[in-house]
Amino acid sequence: MSNEFDDYISADAFAELGTLLDSVLVANRGEIALRVFRTAAEHGIRTIALYTDLDADAPHVRAADEAVRVDSYLDIHAVVAAAVHAGAAAIHPGYGFLSERAAFARAVEAAGIRLVGPSAVVMEQMGRKDAAREIAVAAGVPVIPAYDLATPVTELDFPVLVKAAAGGGGKGMRVVRSAEEYPAALEAAAREARSAFGDDTLLIEKYVESGRHIEVQVMADTRGNVVHLLERDCSTQRRHQKVLEEAPGPTVTPKLRAKITQAAVALSRAVDYTGAGTVEFLVDNATGEPYFLEMNTRLQVEHPVTELATGDRDLVEMQLEVAAGRELEIEQHEVEAEAHAIEARVYAEDSHHGFLPQAGTARIVHWPDAATSRLMRDDAADVVRVDQALISGQVVSTAYDPMLGKVIAHGRDRETARRNLLAALDETAIFGLTTNAGFLRQLVASGEFADATIDTAWLDHHEVPAPDPALARALAAHAVADAVLGQSSGPFASDAWRASGDQAPVLVELDEPVSVVRDGTVSQVGEWRIRTLDRVRLGVGAAERLEVSVDGERQVVFVDAGPHVVEVVHRGQRFVFTRPDPFAAAGHELAEGEVTAPMPGTVLAVSTAAGQRVQAGDPLVIMEAMKMELTLKAPFDGVVAQVGAVVGDQVALGAVLVVVEPDDAEQAQDQR
Amino acid sequence: MTEMRDLADDLRERLAKAHQGGSEAARRKHTDRGKLLARDRVNRLLDPGSPFLEIGALAATGMYGAPDATGQNDPVPSAGVVSGIGQISGRLAVVIANDATVKGGTYYPVTVKKHLRAQEIARSNRLPVISLVDSGGAFLPMQDDVFPDKEHFGRIFFNQAQMSAEQIPQVAAVMGSCTAGGAYVPAMSDETVIVKDQGTIFLGGPPLVKAATGEVVTAEELGGGDVHARKSGVADHLALDDAHALAILRGIVETTPATRVAQTAPIEEPAEDPLGLYDVVPADTRTPYDVREVIRRIVDGSRFTEFKQLYAETLVCGFARIYGHQVGIVANNGILFGESARKGAHFIELCNQRGVPLVFLQNISGFMVGREYENGGIARDGAKLVTAVACSVVPKFTVVIGGSFGAGNYGMCGRAYDPRFLWMWPNARISVMGGEQAASVLATVKRDGIEARGEQWSGEEEEAFKAPIRAQYEEQGSAYYSTARLWDDGVIDPLDTRRVLGMGLAAAANAPTPAPNYGVFRM
Repeated sequence: MSNEFDDYISADAFAELGTLLDSVLVANRGEIALRVFRTAAEHGIRTIALYTDLDADAPHVRAADEAVRVDSYLDIHAVVAAAVHAGAAAIHPGYGFLSERAAFARAVEAAGIRLVGPSAVVMEQMGRKDAAREIAVAAGVPVIPAYDLATPVTELDFPVLVKAAAGGGGKGMRVVRSAEEYPAALEAAAREARSAFGDDTLLIEKYVESGRHIEVQVMADTRGNVVHLLERDCSTQRRHQKVLEEAPGPTVTPKLRAKITQAAVALSRAVDYTGAGTVEFLVDNATGEPYFLEMNTRLQVEHPVTELATGDRDLVEMQLEVAAGRELEIEQHEVEAEAHAIEARVYAEDSHHGFLPQAGTARIVHWPDAATSRLMRDDAADVVRVDQALISGQVVSTAYDPMLGKVIAHGRDRETARRNLLAALDETAIFGLTTNAGFLRQLVASGEFADATIDTAWLDHHEVPAPDPALARALAAHAVADAVLGQSSGPFASDAWRASGDQAPVLVELDEPVSVVRDGTVSQVGEWRIRTLDRVRLGVGAAERLEVSVDGERQVVFVDAGPHVVEVVHRGQRFVFTRPDPFAAAGHELAEGEVTAPMPGTVLAVSTAAGQRVQAGDPLVIMEAMKMELTLKAPFDGVVAQVGAVVGDQVALGAVLVVVEPDDAEQAQDQR
Repeated sequence: MTEMRDLADDLRERLAKAHQGGSEAARRKHTDRGKLLARDRVNRLLDPGSPFLEIGALAATGMYGAPDATGQNDPVPSAGVVSGIGQISGRLAVVIANDATVKGGTYYPVTVKKHLRAQEIARSNRLPVISLVDSGGAFLPMQDDVFPDKEHFGRIFFNQAQMSAEQIPQVAAVMGSCTAGGAYVPAMSDETVIVKDQGTIFLGGPPLVKAATGEVVTAEELGGGDVHARKSGVADHLALDDAHALAILRGIVETTPATRVAQTAPIEEPAEDPLGLYDVVPADTRTPYDVREVIRRIVDGSRFTEFKQLYAETLVCGFARIYGHQVGIVANNGILFGESARKGAHFIELCNQRGVPLVFLQNISGFMVGREYENGGIARDGAKLVTAVACSVVPKFTVVIGGSFGAGNYGMCGRAYDPRFLWMWPNARISVMGGEQAASVLATVKRDGIEARGEQWSGEEEEAFKAPIRAQYEEQGSAYYSTARLWDDGVIDPLDTRRVLGMGLAAAANAPTPAPNYGVFRM
């Protein structure tokens, strides 16, 4: 089969890609699967999806020509078997899952299938940070000062970073600022590394207090050609997870650009890299010096900003061409920044409550659509791209990565792109599930982001306040009043009529009663004057998109007004206003001292037992959920009355894990 | 003469004053306690955006003394109680809300009358009654006009029992005092809410208890929300505050049967702009005009099918629709003659046979007088009309759009003939006869007596005699004198005529219409 395939390659360099590579299986899910399918379909390549039982009805399964069930996306044997079974000519691994697993690359190769990515050898080299570093040093790439694991604590120049050698994506990383914390941090990092990657080897290096995360996109073919596609700035991170990404880097000088792109290309050449790769640098704000962090041997989540910034290129297409054995068409001198693009990652998480991952049903999903939004301020009609795999009614579980989609806006310059992204986030409405869209919108609107002064640690030190619900509440009240007042006809029509007097104010019961005073079509709600400019049903339930004038400023708000709950999405932020239930009891008291699971997950450790005395803040249970460790602590001083948690248990949201009885019940009551 | 438009503006001002309720100080004291004002309670009780057909908003005006020092506020605006029809949980209901900012919400004679009238509306239209109680009970200085008689305080509870027996829901929220007889409003209700630390119910308040038995007890211990919700069982639901109580009430109303909705034709606005009513109707009731100008501006599509158009032209009868409801309209277009009365009686019989509600547009100076007409038996014909009106079983609605004098008032369904609703335009006049006629009649009688004694009565003396009579009739004949005494359900802007009639028709549709049955028609 592979011989036949090679014949094709040599036969016709100008043949349609689809004839060289007739099918591709994407060993992934979600938006990246859809992203690859899109390019594949454009070239007439047959698309094959994988799915687990949880994903049986997921968008990527619906989008593919064929779909094969597997128990797990991480099961190398099953994934390769599925590809063989489906007759896939190539496997695109996406990102995450098996995308950087050398063992997988080998298994794919052994099955006679092309892997859209570099060789297993390269993955191994780059996947191990110690090895990657040595190669980088040899290739003349600047690296951050590192320490041997055996280095005595006294010789470490704190702060230092402890991280998993096999890791990525922030898992298993620990910043250690003092010698006292060092042993515990090593242990925790090793445990996370083992659970996430099955390998607990650690690296220790100098920690740059303030830096920018700058990464270079490279693309290399099997003929020895290597090009870079400029850099991306992914400095807006929280807990080492990227939140906002953009290209080109707003603070990157031509000199720095030359330095890092040349280094990236040199490193790629040094390892005979093929396909798409990303060379990450940390640029020290104090010195402007770049330090090599790692090379990611796959397509990045944030690849769209590069595609948009370099003139609407298609990195997946390039990957497939390389996989098909073709020579890269693009030449280095053709690559330049033609626009600015910014990407915002939309996660199912509660950004204002510890970024807790959220699960549930995304009842109604509205992604921005440049064509329907009148808010876009760019000359170009198509300034927003959304790579997503979330549709109305979809169940989001905590089993997989909480990223729901990416909203990417571009423009002729950074400010235009930023404004377009703001408008796009205003148009992002997900009901039923808490997301970080409002948080993203606040970040993008912030002066710090506008001025490009957010460094990689900024979000760990700055609280983005939860938005005030007052305006959202007012908008909801207006929307409800507006709907009520136009709803019925007849003498008892809801028009708040009073004989020989002004219309009565319309009282809208939300979480609190809101009085809407009408003056024609204008609602006076508190200090705001609100008027509906446009109102469209979203087509799911009663949810509507409203364009309103708020004190003369045009804004977009999404409202789903139900009899018991009114859900509002304003500027990306979801607000849930629960209408009062007059017959409900006036609030039930939660049992004292119940320590419950803040999300569904697995119990990793139980460090208490019934009868044990505990002090407020003592760790009781360690849970793992969404591959993050959560320590549940004693709420107050007291005695553990009951322990319901068992190591290894899968626990549901709200499950009572430990019950602590306060020393003095009366006293505890008073403190509440 | 003042223009109709000015009269409507004047009405608007009077209503705005009355709607404020008690004095600013009283209102502030009320709201400082965390209580909502009576009309705010009503607004919150009603469905968001619900219209409210207020009844007797100007009741008691001018009856119990001069306005206060500012000259702005009547001492007992709206008779200290807000009543009307609105929509609650999708159902039409009658609301009766005491205004504690007006003399502590105590019952003046007209307050009692207004409460009874609201109950009458509820009963005739089978609408649930929601009482928002906040009242100190009877106004003690006037107890003789409040307490003992048939149509006095006790009748309120009699009506509650009767309506409950007729499956008309009786619901109450105690949002303030509810003392003595007033305690029976919640106690007699089917379902009752009380506001914690605010509502009290007791037969005798703490001062009376101390006087009677020497027991010293606080109002809250005696009959507060906790007592009645937890111990006595007088209240069924305990609310945290006004808003909570109103929300509970809305929930209760949701459990009552839905309002019956009549099958109606699609609604059409009048083709002729109702705004024209200001121009086509002369404010002076003595100036004649064609009443069809009014009808066309009230009915759907301005379409009016006349009955006996060519016969007895001083009474216009015909069919039209108002908000889709078929109605029979009887409207004066001049003085009533024998044949006008017969035509009217015939038409009213038709409407009763067909179950079509009747709308009377009253502008009548009376039946024709004189030998020819008396000898012709105009009283016999008048009796036919009065019999037909009195025995009508279909809902009747009366709007006094001009004069309402003498027997014309009876034949055209005056208050005594139980129209479901009776409204007056601000220009309307109502009295047994015109002031001039009354003065002349009385002067003639007096002159006859004087001359019989052989004495003289000069023109000046006669004029001096007639002037106060004219003045009395002028004052007592006004729409505001009428509405203060609840001879009507309210003075309305002519532009609202269609709307209030539509609301009345919608309310009336909730009660079934019995089969027609008449007394003896004098042939």
